Amino acid sequence: MTKSITIDPAIERQPGTLSGPTIPLNAYVSDPAVETAQYGSDALNRMWHDMAVIRTFETALDMLKREGTYKGVEYKHGGPAHISIGQEASVVGQAYHLTPDDFILGSHRSHGEILAKGLSAIQKLSDAELLAIMEGYMGGKALRIVEKHVGGATVKDLAINYLLYSALAEIFGREAGFNKGMGGSMHTFFPPFGIMPNNAIVGGSADIALGMALFKRVNRKPGIVIANIGDASMGCGPVWEAMMFAAMDQYHTLWDQEIGGAPPVLFNFMNNFYGMGGQTKGETMGFGVLARVGLGVNEDAMHAERVDGYNPLAVADAIARKKQILLEGRGPVLLDTLTYRFVGHSTSDASSYRDKSEVDLWRAQDSLADFGHYLQANGHAGAGKLEAMQAAIEERMLAVIKAAVPTDISPRVPAEQIGGMMFSNTPTDRFSDAKPDVLLPMAETRFKVTQEKFRSGVDENGKPLPKLKCLTYGEALFEAVIHRFYEDPTLVAYGEENRDWGGAFGAYRGLTEALPYHRLFNSPISEAAIVGTGVGYALAGGRALVELMYCDFMGRAGDEIFNQMAKWQSMSANVLKMPLVLRVSVGARYGAQHSQDWSSLIAHIPGLQVFFPATPYDAKGMLNLALRGSDPVVFFESQRLYSEPETIVPGGVPKDYYEVPLGEPAVRRAGSDITIVTIGATLYRALEAAQILQDKYNLSAEVIDARFINPLNYESIVQSVKKTGKCVLASDAVERGSFLHNMAANITQLAFDHLDGPVVVIGARNWITPAVEMELDYFPQANWIIDAIHERLLPIPGHTTTTNQRASEIITRNRDGI
Amino acid sequence: MATLIPLPKLGNTVESSIIVRWIKSIGETVAAGDAICEVETDKATMEVESPASGVLLAQLFQPGDDVPVLTNIAVIGAAGEDISALVGSTAAPAPAPQVAAESKPAAVQLTNGASASSDVLIRISPRARKLAERKSLPLEGIAGSGPEGRIIERDIEAALTRAAKLTPLAQSMIEKGGYSAPEGASGRITTKDLLPTTAPQTPVPAQTDAVEVIPLKGARKVIAQRMLESLQTTAQLTLNRTADARTLLDFRKRLKASAPEFGLQGVTINDLILFAVARTLPRFPELNSLFIDNAIHQHRTVHLGIAVDTTRGLIVPVVRNADTLSLRDLSSEAHRLATACQEGRVSPDDLTGGTFSVTNLGSLGIESFTPVLNPPQVAILGVGSVDLKAVQSDDAVQFIPHIALSLTINHQIVDGAPGARFLQALSHNIAQIDLLTAL
Repeated sequence: MTKSITIDPAIERQPGTLSGPTIPLNAYVSDPAVETAQYGSDALNRMWHDMAVIRTFETALDMLKREGTYKGVEYKHGGPAHISIGQEASVVGQAYHLTPDDFILGSHRSHGEILAKGLSAIQKLSDAELLAIMEGYMGGKALRIVEKHVGGATVKDLAINYLLYSALAEIFGREAGFNKGMGGSMHTFFPPFGIMPNNAIVGGSADIALGMALFKRVNRKPGIVIANIGDASMGCGPVWEAMMFAAMDQYHTLWDQEIGGAPPVLFNFMNNFYGMGGQTKGETMGFGVLARVGLGVNEDAMHAERVDGYNPLAVADAIARKKQILLEGRGPVLLDTLTYRFVGHSTSDASSYRDKSEVDLWRAQDSLADFGHYLQANGHAGAGKLEAMQAAIEERMLAVIKAAVPTDISPRVPAEQIGGMMFSNTPTDRFSDAKPDVLLPMAETRFKVTQEKFRSGVDENGKPLPKLKCLTYGEALFEAVIHRFYEDPTLVAYGEENRDWGGAFGAYRGLTEALPYHRLFNSPISEAAIVGTGVGYALAGGRALVELMYCDFMGRAGDEIFNQMAKWQSMSANVLKMPLVLRVSVGARYGAQHSQDWSSLIAHIPGLQVFFPATPYDAKGMLNLALRGSDPVVFFESQRLYSEPETIVPGGVPKDYYEVPLGEPAVRRAGSDITIVTIGATLYRALEAAQILQDKYNLSAEVIDARFINPLNYESIVQSVKKTGKCVLASDAVERGSFLHNMAANITQLAFDHLDGPVVVIGARNWITPAVEMELDYFPQANWIIDAIHERLLPIPGHTTTTNQRASEIITRNRDGI
Repeated sequence: MATLIPLPKLGNTVESSIIVRWIKSIGETVAAGDAICEVETDKATMEVESPASGVLLAQLFQPGDDVPVLTNIAVIGAAGEDISALVGSTAAPAPAPQVAAESKPAAVQLTNGASASSDVLIRISPRARKLAERKSLPLEGIAGSGPEGRIIERDIEAALTRAAKLTPLAQSMIEKGGYSAPEGASGRITTKDLLPTTAPQTPVPAQTDAVEVIPLKGARKVIAQRMLESLQTTAQLTLNRTADARTLLDFRKRLKASAPEFGLQGVTINDLILFAVARTLPRFPELNSLFIDNAIHQHRTVHLGIAVDTTRGLIVPVVRNADTLSLRDLSSEAHRLATACQEGRVSPDDLTGGTFSVTNLGSLGIESFTPVLNPPQVAILGVGSVDLKAVQSDDAVQFIPHIALSLTINHQIVDGAPGARFLQALSHNIAQIDLLTAL
């Protein structure tokens, strides 16, 4: 949505045909003389060396996994090991032209990629840089072990041993592994060498890589980002979403030219022709040649080509050319890198889906052997040289294994320490000292208007003020957002309708005028990529605020929220941070797919913080908190509240910056007879119930707004329940599986002796959300709360129920599954 | 439809009763008005009559069980009727008699009562239970006003308002353990009212003798509590003197020999003493007093407690308005009460409200003793045997029969001299009892 680009029917309705660029297939032609001149013998020998290191590493791991022994060392590796034997040329060729500033992200089968990238980085870094990295990483823990138990004649030699040891220790789940064993085989990574998270979800790296590329582009950082994903991931929605997001026109049409164009992302499909056992050519896909897909994405066909991944020089050539395109802002790029694994998908794979004869055909063209012949035939390796290199590599590998296997040398992290890794909890004002890119001084933005509004919805006598003149919940969010935009230059916000429209509910109105496109833009309706790119952006070192409009759309971003946003801080052992805030809006009035409160789904996933402000004061104070934090926050908002002023918190919404204390519920009304705890907009119905209880039945209810779901400090809630002995929990989430049941169980355990009745949970019915006119029968109302108190906690003399809140309904409804 | 039979409240102060025996067995036909079981209260044994006709389907308690009043004790209905709904879904069917006889827990499971072993079936919130424990409030008889009859905090609070109040110090002593509040107490309970609880850690000496261990309950339990309470909480002083018994003995002879139509033949020496006490006391209201809550309640009317020895222990029924009764009426009321006590049929209401008590051990040859006060009464008269006493008159010494009188007073309220003056007046009245009857 932009006014500057007109959609002209005269153009759009013109007849014609569409054609695209041709897609080169294995176009590289080897010319040994040219190659000798370009690389030199040393580099060519190093390529073979690196391929041999990978082959040796994977072979050793395969033997430990399958047979429990390697050259006399016994070890039973219990975790996964997705071996990449056969794919060595594709990764060594890729890494050759990359620098530590270039990032790679991979898949479950990434041992080869990280070793190749690491070996390449070691060649490109000075000894001083290498030592600084190894000394500085996790306090030099792994370096100490390598020095003592493996050694190294030179710094580079030591660094290679460090790389092999730290990767293997990570695979074995050891504290000295790259990620303290929190990542393991499928996830091991090492940011100082530009080795970024590897993902066990097929295609999971695509949008994260794009987010990292977006970070590089927006923050003018060097380097490109490669998503190494498999051919089967072309069937994954988030991969398509990432490609669409990466290919948006606006990088060229709307963004400042100075920013440099599209995010430098390369979608490299390591095409080994199988997704587990499903054969992508001829069986599970229809593209025939994977590179064809580029034609469907943009005018440049994503600069797609098929590269012979069995020739490291072909791959190196392709990467050098594509890197140039990306640095020029002309991405994204799609590469279809042919390769083939000689082993199964995993050690449990008997390869029943392919003929041995097929494997033999590829073995006959084994890239390691072929490249060895090439070196020998062209005078790069004399007699016995490769054999000597192989022997040295095996010796090195054995020493590394001997250090990584014993738990006295390489212990595991005490399990209790994992808890300390779930959050980074390091509030940060700005992730860069650069000057924030803005278009107006803050005082000239809409901030001036909101600041001048009544800060409370009621005057000092409690009389309501005209709503239009009062600061609303939506405007309170705006104040928090614009504050951080002017503080943290890395902050970007995007989602559906974030610019111009100001967000579907207007919270961002006024930001369009204040911020350039690269800090606030409309994304495609690609929920997975919206969240996934946010994950990548945050992991790369920036702060992202992404928005999904309706809570109900979270399902579209399930993996990105549950597996990516939630896990990378702890899976990196806190090497990386996740300052990512995901705004989701809980709807009402819009039926079954636009009115759901899914906060309970998020509560179930370790690693996420879950906020749900219900008043303008909290909207600003909690978003301030989230936007200064370093942890991933799913920030729930309620569409019932955007236009509401502050009517609960005395004094209204402060003009200045403030934060709500993390995890602390707020007592909204003091009382002595019963405690009502709510999450979200249900607060207002609870307050209504409390007023009726007081006026009609002389019962004094204490109303507490939990505000936070995780983390949550139960102390004030328990204190209240100890006082009253009776507790009702209510929210608009459907009752079954509601987080309130967790809360009820915890309160019951913490205040059991003080309870005068069971803790009662009131949620929305376990139905679809009906039409707006029927919502009173669907979402908890004040009379539900009073009826529930009457039926389950404290029969109220003179009260007549209007709804069925009897405990016996629990049996009936559950029996019927509703 | 089967009917639940509750244990009736057998008197205003009765909180619970012990099932003595079942008169009707399970399966036996019962007519409305038939006694189905015999129960014992503090001081009396009574029969519980069935309000309904039918077949006795369940006995919900065993003989020996202490049952709160108004708790269901039996179910009467049609033969073979399913009563599981009545006695609770978790309850087993009415136990076969032989099971009931040997298995107390099985029967207790069916109850709605409040003994410790049946707590599982009391619907009570943790909060209410904790409050009751803290306040040492027994749960017997507390009706729940919560959902499905659950006892909730407000029910305990209401019961506490109705029940006796503990002083903060008494409360603290109970909470620390070793003491309990007296059962059924009303008014304000101070530390003086507290009863020591038996220390469970007291070692029981190894017994080689055959020893029968009898749990303290019923009347014995009440006597044990009251006597100790009496001695712990009052300042008792006993005054002894004798009264000339010649007229007493003569008069008793004449009464015994009187015409049957007068109805005076059964008047005993003790009746005469009671009569003398009833007629003397109105002039000494300080002795006809109750000491309650730091206040002296002087009574103008004499409600005379008479100690009766029964097989279950000492019982003190009360002759109301004794100062207004003729000798014959007083005597006949005293006999009615004594007989009722001995037969275990006295109404609990006849056991309360005394203002002064008389106890007589003279017939057992006791010459003199120190009666124990019956608080809140402030005085009790003990009557001893009649013995010859050497009395000097003029220049000779005569042996004259005298009856021994021992008056215990609470010195907190009554000083020695007023007590002595009462005893002196009583002696003079006994010495001329024949004239007293004419007043």
